[in-house]
Amino acid sequence: MWDLLRKYRVYVAVGVVLLAAFVFYSLNLKNKEHANAFESGVLNLMAPVAGVVAGMNRGVTGVWSDYVDLLEVRKENKQLRESVRILNSRLLDAGEAILANERLRKLLELKTSLRAPSLAASVIGEDDSPWFKTIVIDRGTADGLREGLPVVASDGVVGQLVKVTAGSSRVLLLTDHASGIAGAVQRSRARGVVKGMGGGRCSLDFTLREEDVKVGDTVITSGIGGVFPKGLPVGEVTMVKKGGAGIFQTVELRPRVNIPRLEEVLVILQEIHD
Amino acid sequence: MIKFLKTAIIVYAALLVQVTVLPAYIADPFKPNLLIVVVAYLGLREGGWGAALAAFFLGLIADCFSGIYLGLSAFSFLSIHLLLRKVADRLYTDSLYLMLLVVVLATVVNGLVHLVLLLLFPVGAGTYATLLAGLLPQVLVNALAASLLFGIPAFGVREEAR
Repeated sequence: MWDLLRKYRVYVAVGVVLLAAFVFYSLNLKNKEHANAFESGVLNLMAPVAGVVAGMNRGVTGVWSDYVDLLEVRKENKQLRESVRILNSRLLDAGEAILANERLRKLLELKTSLRAPSLAASVIGEDDSPWFKTIVIDRGTADGLREGLPVVASDGVVGQLVKVTAGSSRVLLLTDHASGIAGAVQRSRARGVVKGMGGGRCSLDFTLREEDVKVGDTVITSGIGGVFPKGLPVGEVTMVKKGGAGIFQTVELRPRVNIPRLEEVLVILQEIHD
Repeated sequence: MIKFLKTAIIVYAALLVQVTVLPAYIADPFKPNLLIVVVAYLGLREGGWGAALAAFFLGLIADCFSGIYLGLSAFSFLSIHLLLRKVADRLYTDSLYLMLLVVVLATVVNGLVHLVLLLLFPVGAGTYATLLAGLLPQVLVNALAASLLFGIPAFGVREEAR
């Protein structure tokens, strides 16, 4: 027996190591919505630098779009070249401020309309895998956040906090396969659960076949479950299918929030209970 | 010690670029996974259990920014590394084309291992459709990123003379 083990010791060692890694993964599945010490450490190490780099990205994007627009104007009209050059320098300063002002104004309107206290946060990172959908924001336990809090934007629901560390947090987006939000069709009050499908889409599951759902309907949060306040926009119905023998109909949604262009979000600090 | 520091800086920079810079300019699933390129390089060029531990920790760090399943990428990166260690002795690891092929295969294996582990447990139901749809673009962009990275002389990989 020992001779056999000694002969194949490399394979045994590899097997033991892989088994240990597999057990580690399966044990962590129980706590998948909580950040452990390792995750907290890594996120705390990355968050400050990621915040700085995200700010630089926003500046570069603004400068590039303004520069391309103004180059086209210069070519088309020689007489305005000097004034465009002067306006360019002013736009470079004011353009980004105007866009940021607009986004923050909408966020403030949402904040004042919510009955619960809320906290604004900036998006500083995104999921590095194409088949999971999460973002990183620059607020954490130091700002009073905890796992499970709902996250919204001016256009609607964004997702829910998972993995909160001292200075940053990860948000599970509503388009992720692990996400589930209690929703209802605004017009007919048909209820279901909004589940992520990846690829920027969601589905409204467990909606009975006899419920009235049409393409173009708006889906809002139903308030059931006590996580999201009632009435927040989630998405718009893009496909309804009632075929087959099942008791539920198939409904697909397009989220209201433009997630790839998300820069600021609002975290609702109180969990609403029915 | 200096080699460890250099590697740590490269990994930190790769992670920063992947999480913060690339999402601002490149849409999913066309963002390259730079950590897989590092794991493929480690698997072919570095031996010993230290490199295996490094691959495992790279996976853990990737899991901190990817999905909510800690240990998923750690297991897949470790598997890829151990697989590559098994065959590295028989391969001409200085060849750029071989390194690109390894990165392509590592990306496929990473995707398949994720799929198997998610399906083994009742989590991430429905992820298989997104995962399989995103696998081919991931393979192509990782190969492109690897061709650019391994073109840097510091990696010691050279294009074969025609």
